[in-house]
Amino acid sequence: MNASQKEAWFNLVVVLAALLMVAALVPFLGKGAMGGFGLLGFLGLSPVFFRKQQGAVVLDERDTQIRLRSQFCAHLVFWLLFVLAAMSAPAIYGWEGSVPVVLVMQSVFCGLTVIQGVSSLATLIQYGRGGHDAA
Amino acid sequence: MIRRLRFDHGEMTQQELAVRVGVTRQTIIALEAGKYVPSLLLAFRLARVFGVSVEGVFQYQDGETGPSAVKLPDGK
Repeated sequence: MNASQKEAWFNLVVVLAALLMVAALVPFLGKGAMGGFGLLGFLGLSPVFFRKQQGAVVLDERDTQIRLRSQFCAHLVFWLLFVLAAMSAPAIYGWEGSVPVVLVMQSVFCGLTVIQGVSSLATLIQYGRGGHDAA
Repeated sequence: MIRRLRFDHGEMTQQELAVRVGVTRQTIIALEAGKYVPSLLLAFRLARVFGVSVEGVFQYQDGETGPSAVKLPDGK
């Protein structure tokens, strides 16, 4: 497993943990459950996986290509969901209605979750297709 | 072909080759499996390490796109 795969797994676990935390806290805290998204702060630790090791390459041109494709997939999914959410707002709140502030805040965390989750999944899928380790 | 070239050059390991051309071992594995098309720069580096021309390592297939467009000379 290379640095990019480790990072993808780490990010996926953090995203899933944050979602589970929020889901678990909602019955007790209501809107305060959004604090569970604070776990997403651990995403900032991912550069640790790319520390320079003596004599070894941690990121090369193939990793960069996989990374770019993953980010493209993530932003595509995010954009589709964003458009869908924006277009469905009038149906939920009416043309003259107003969107709750908490929903705007949640959308930021949800967007981050979608981008990191899809990007990590796409990365792992692409490495999975790239052949297995050989001698 | 890369695998054969490695063995022809003192049974070079994938890791040794990876370090010499500046990529990860996984990229060498993907190249040997024909699942990754390298950049021109990497192709030249590989050819330089083995002391052959680029076409001694990779061959272009007319009319193909993606990874199948570049074949290793042994047909892989």
